[in-house]
Amino acid sequence: MIAADTALLDRLIPTGPPDPPSLRATNWLLTHGLPDAHDEAWHYSPITEIISRLAAATPAQARPITRADIDRLTGHHGPNRLVLVNGIYAPSLSDIAGHGAGVWIGRLSDLPPGTLATHVPVGGGFTDGFHALNRAAGADPAVVSLDSRAAQDADDPTPSPIHIVHVAAPGTGPEVSHPRTVIDVGDHSRLHLIETFTGLPGAAITNASTTIRLGREATLTHHRLQTEAVGAIHIGHTHVSQATESRYTASSLMLGADIARHTLDVTLHGPDARVALTGLYRPAGHQRHDTAVRVDHAASRGTSTQEFKGVIDDHARGSFSGHIIVRPDTIANDAHQTNRNLVLQPTAQADSRPWLEIFADDVRCTHGATVGRLDDAALFYLRSRGIPLDESRTILIDAFVREIIDAIEPVSLRDHVAAFFDVAARDRQP
Amino acid sequence: MLHIENLTATIAGQTVLRGLDLDIGAGEVHAIMGPNGAGKSTLANVLAGRDGYTATGTVTLDGIDLLARSPEARATAGLFLAFQYPTEIPGVGNMYFLRAALNAVRRERGLEEIAAVDFLTLAKEHMARLDMDPAFLSRSVNDGFSGGEKKRNEVLQMSLLEPRLAILDEIDSGLDIDALRIVATGVENLRSPDRALLIITHYPHLLDLVQPDYVHVLSDGRIVRTGDRHLVDEIETDGFGPAPVRVPVP
Repeated sequence: MIAADTALLDRLIPTGPPDPPSLRATNWLLTHGLPDAHDEAWHYSPITEIISRLAAATPAQARPITRADIDRLTGHHGPNRLVLVNGIYAPSLSDIAGHGAGVWIGRLSDLPPGTLATHVPVGGGFTDGFHALNRAAGADPAVVSLDSRAAQDADDPTPSPIHIVHVAAPGTGPEVSHPRTVIDVGDHSRLHLIETFTGLPGAAITNASTTIRLGREATLTHHRLQTEAVGAIHIGHTHVSQATESRYTASSLMLGADIARHTLDVTLHGPDARVALTGLYRPAGHQRHDTAVRVDHAASRGTSTQEFKGVIDDHARGSFSGHIIVRPDTIANDAHQTNRNLVLQPTAQADSRPWLEIFADDVRCTHGATVGRLDDAALFYLRSRGIPLDESRTILIDAFVREIIDAIEPVSLRDHVAAFFDVAARDRQP
Repeated sequence: MLHIENLTATIAGQTVLRGLDLDIGAGEVHAIMGPNGAGKSTLANVLAGRDGYTATGTVTLDGIDLLARSPEARATAGLFLAFQYPTEIPGVGNMYFLRAALNAVRRERGLEEIAAVDFLTLAKEHMARLDMDPAFLSRSVNDGFSGGEKKRNEVLQMSLLEPRLAILDEIDSGLDIDALRIVATGVENLRSPDRALLIITHYPHLLDLVQPDYVHVLSDGRIVRTGDRHLVDEIETDGFGPAPVRVPVP
């Protein structure tokens, strides 16, 4: 802000019973404001346009959505599906009973006392004004909580995932919602999570925040898929805190919305933790897709990998900012980052910004970024065998993104992503 | 079948072909020889439609104007170019690629697309004839293939796609004698009354194995000599210069 715009905050933050974290977030906003064009972390994002759209928005209302809508928008990937529409839990659309012992799925206000309270990461600070606004204005969060030594289906070596669906259902005027999700994976527990952000066409702003805690030796596989519709703006934050010997494997798949940004912030608090992040963004038409990753090695012997790919078409822009921090007095950390971009048209633009802050001596750290076009020689080779130009291009683009899509489980989600990957770009006219 | 008249080609401001004429009939095997820089590979590239060349003149295949068509439309019209340096395409499975190519050609011929399982059987038959390990199907296109493996993969594509006219651009380069024999046998098997072959080569040895009906010498962008396969022997003796004037021995 763009000096604290109290009128905007008054309109967006609901008045209700005093909630200390929410008040703290509001105060944070009043002090720090929302990002602006001078904010380095938002350098590649069209922040002026986002703010002006936000300034015209009102809080999103609950709206009816059918199960058929959800199936069409996100597919069906297992028995447990928790659905929120405009950030508000929709019990009639959710199936949250088919899980194993020690697993709790629902909204925070329904959580039995004591289940989570000591775990919910409140945190002192916020990454940016949108993160704080989410906490200040967000409703009751969706929660998945696993006791220690729990798994959503402990007997099944490849348990079906728990799927959280956030639907943006816009009205006639611009609206903003603040979906919140809290994931707590207890010590020695194991969870496979799918988080989908989808929606119907229209002027919806989704300002989402997901907070994840992994206990000692906990394992989380997390696919985050954003396929919001034409007209949408998506601002997402994912904050992950990892304890000793925990494993976090995640993909950030950004395919929808007009303007989308995902901040993925992982801190390895305990030693011997491992994190493997992959991602894909595919802006076409005039879309903007920005990914900002931060991995903080705050303990020793951590391993982190970041592998992000962008395919940028038409007049679109895509960016990747990858920040690695290795704290002082840590040893034997291993951090790797790659960002590869395929720019399909001269009018498309890719930006890549690695940022390494290494404060320890005993560390292995690598990074690399490329921006390239489709290989003319490969394209000619395929065409010379009779394969049409469009199909040849698709074959080469698929080859570029395949390793990321092939790693997605379950297969139903992989197929959904692959189909959306093809369709998403076709829907966008330059 | 193939008719080329007064073909010129320039690339990056340089004229490489300077009025080339050539006619190839069905069932014929033609060889083009010539020194480095004569325009042999340019001819192959211009016929296949590679970007970057400006071509004028007339080129028709079965009456179809090739120069006006995209590379893929030339291929579906029956043209096949076996590359001198086949392109490596990491991430694209060879089997997927071969089937996509065959189905593109089949669609153009009004045939149904071939199912994956039927294709596998077909591909394995063709590979056995070329002494190729079926494992090549599951690798990426030409990725990490040796020189000989790449050339065999070219001949495999040619035998699967059954072109009307196949242009072999230095299919013999980089091959040892055993690989050359296998590739030559593969090419020889493609000889048929309704197919034509145009073999571009530096070396006479391939032409011992695949005997041409006609041999042309390309020099400085034009065909300067044409003869039957005995011309190969003369070239070996005399080089690529114009035909020497032989004084009859009295």
